[in-house]
Amino acid sequence: MAVLRAGKVVAANAPARTAGIAVGNNKRAVGFRCPEAQVAAWDEDVDNKHFSAGVGALEDLVARFTLLGPGTLAIPLDSLRHGYADEPSAVEDLISELVSATGWEFFPGIADTVFAAVLAAGQARRVEPGETVNFLAAQPITTLEYAGAEVAKLIDTFTHLGLRTLGALARLDAKDVNSRFGAPGRHAHDLATGSERRPLHDHVREDGLTAELGLEAPTTRSDTLGFLTRQLAADLLTKVRRLGLVCTQITIELVAVSGQSSKRTWRIEDMNENTIADRLRWQAEGWLAGAARGGSSAGSARTDGKAAARSRRAHDFDIPDEPAPDPEDFSEEGIIALRLVAAELTTPIGATKSLFDENTGQVTHTLERLQGLFGPDSVLVPGLQGGWDPSETNLWTPWQQKSVPVRSPGAPWPGALHAPRPTTVEHVAVDVLTGDGRTVGARPAGLESTPAAIRFPTGATEAITDYSGSWPVESGWWDPERATYRTRLQVVTESGQALLLSKENGQWHITGRYR
Amino acid sequence: MDVMSAVPLVEQLSREMGISTATALFDGHQPRPVDPVLAPIFRRGGLPRGEIVTLTGGQSLSCALATIAAATQEQKWCAGIGLGEPAVSSIADLGVDLDHFVNLATPAEDWLRVASILIESFDILIVDPGFRPSAGERARLLAKVRERKISLISLEPMPGSTEQIEITDTQWSGTEHGHGRLRSCLVTARSQTGIHRFLLPGPEGTPAEAPARVPAPTSVWEEKGERPVIRSVS
Repeated sequence: MAVLRAGKVVAANAPARTAGIAVGNNKRAVGFRCPEAQVAAWDEDVDNKHFSAGVGALEDLVARFTLLGPGTLAIPLDSLRHGYADEPSAVEDLISELVSATGWEFFPGIADTVFAAVLAAGQARRVEPGETVNFLAAQPITTLEYAGAEVAKLIDTFTHLGLRTLGALARLDAKDVNSRFGAPGRHAHDLATGSERRPLHDHVREDGLTAELGLEAPTTRSDTLGFLTRQLAADLLTKVRRLGLVCTQITIELVAVSGQSSKRTWRIEDMNENTIADRLRWQAEGWLAGAARGGSSAGSARTDGKAAARSRRAHDFDIPDEPAPDPEDFSEEGIIALRLVAAELTTPIGATKSLFDENTGQVTHTLERLQGLFGPDSVLVPGLQGGWDPSETNLWTPWQQKSVPVRSPGAPWPGALHAPRPTTVEHVAVDVLTGDGRTVGARPAGLESTPAAIRFPTGATEAITDYSGSWPVESGWWDPERATYRTRLQVVTESGQALLLSKENGQWHITGRYR
Repeated sequence: MDVMSAVPLVEQLSREMGISTATALFDGHQPRPVDPVLAPIFRRGGLPRGEIVTLTGGQSLSCALATIAAATQEQKWCAGIGLGEPAVSSIADLGVDLDHFVNLATPAEDWLRVASILIESFDILIVDPGFRPSAGERARLLAKVRERKISLISLEPMPGSTEQIEITDTQWSGTEHGHGRLRSCLVTARSQTGIHRFLLPGPEGTPAEAPARVPAPTSVWEEKGERPVIRSVS
């Protein structure tokens, strides 16, 4: 088994290594040395997900540690001093515990700095205290690739400058390196000289930074929710503050009676219990209002439910002291549980605003005011994601919420629309007609006939003066749920406007308008 | 000697740009920079501040987005009101910095209220007004625009605007009756500075100079029974 990233092997397991596969081989070399080896592409998410099991096992063993990346951990030795007699026994215990918990191989390395320890782990050796500088000096310059993408970019330049080892880099004057290469260069120099300025952030245990509240009776009243949230948020923020951290993003999860839940992540600049309560209130209002709207248009099944609810209410009115229906009661369903999760934590210095951001504070203030007036979804910031058509690449996210792309922008999208692209996105059913009034059919090879006119839903018809070649998009044929087949066409009408049309399931739609 | 040489300049300015005195020139605010292709449309070579500009006709939204591109790249904040759902890819194609653009999905009838809130901190607004404001509301909006020195681009005609740009004709090219795709659009725009022809979008998605004029247009005008509107001669 070997894992490939950017054409090079980044990891190989023991059987693969005995077959002669080494880190840095390309795919062809792997196939040559061991034809039966499985080659998989590297995937950060899978790595992280997989590795979280190991993190869970380590949480029970060590008091303090830092997750450097998927597959790499740093444990300060002084945190082990209390539990273990000496270094070798501590390392042996930890490794055997981790191996028995996860079944993976682990390579220990000990050195004075984290970077040197990572390199030492590659050779599974222990660098004596004080020997780190000599150990680093002997390492080739390419080992800087373990120090992150920013520093790794400099490797080629260093090589061209004749710096073949970390020792050669360390001998240069720090000031010269800084003035030539800036912050990444200084960082590389620090690593090479074995002086580490950045303290590592300890791994933050997840369970502590959430706050949950189950309500005794479901509620739809936003003021009640706001009141409850304020207390809950205050608890959460106290917990965060006790760790010496600042929370910059918070995930709010609401659970309704029916078991549905709404989850959103908010970024709040001045995080306090009131601003959190506001966000929760907006989220609840938007969600419940949306649910009520969706329900009324859903048709008969839902109407039955409403009728049932109404009759139940009518029954309730028999009790004389029952209060009148709440004007703020926007849905038959209520919220029964709240959950707040500190989604992003940073040190207090990391949360301060930069002086160089021009009037962002005021812009934030204005936009938050609009969100308060018209709902959080009324203020949208643009973003791009993967897709073929502008309606798919559009990623409008409410102000100060984390954007979640559905489709990867990095993946290839064969047949994606080229510039110029339409300026606005629509989805309106139209008829595209031939000269004798029939709908224009589309085949993978092209249109069946010449489009002559377009009829809008308003009934107006415009002649088509010019049209582009049609091009089909076919994807997901291996999965009926995601199967997409459509044909796209650009037309210019007699009034001079250009439209992007798309035919899917036998119906033409306007999907974009050049305005 | 300086005074002597300034006289013809002032005369020229008053004739061409409606600036009667030199102080009027300096009282006004430096306009915001725009794409060099679009600069000649504006009286002072850029998007004026503290004034309302109307941009109407086909491709007016593209033209408005292309106009604000340079300013957003200078960290100026821009908001769109009543634009529907703009396509992010085209906004990016036209050169707008996505980190400084916000789209408002507010009810059309509330546009004036939304605009008056945004005027407080934004630098440029692009508005497709959902309804015509009353004379009083218009005066208040204009006063606020002037006071905050923001640029307001309206995609509908609006009384009180100082510059009116009307896109009178759009000619798309590249489709070739089923054998190509849309490539560029030749736009004819009329403003106070005359009639201008340019490509919007050009082949790269950004505005571009029009290709050398083909001799056809005169005959087209004769056929349609129209005559060319007088152009300014500089």
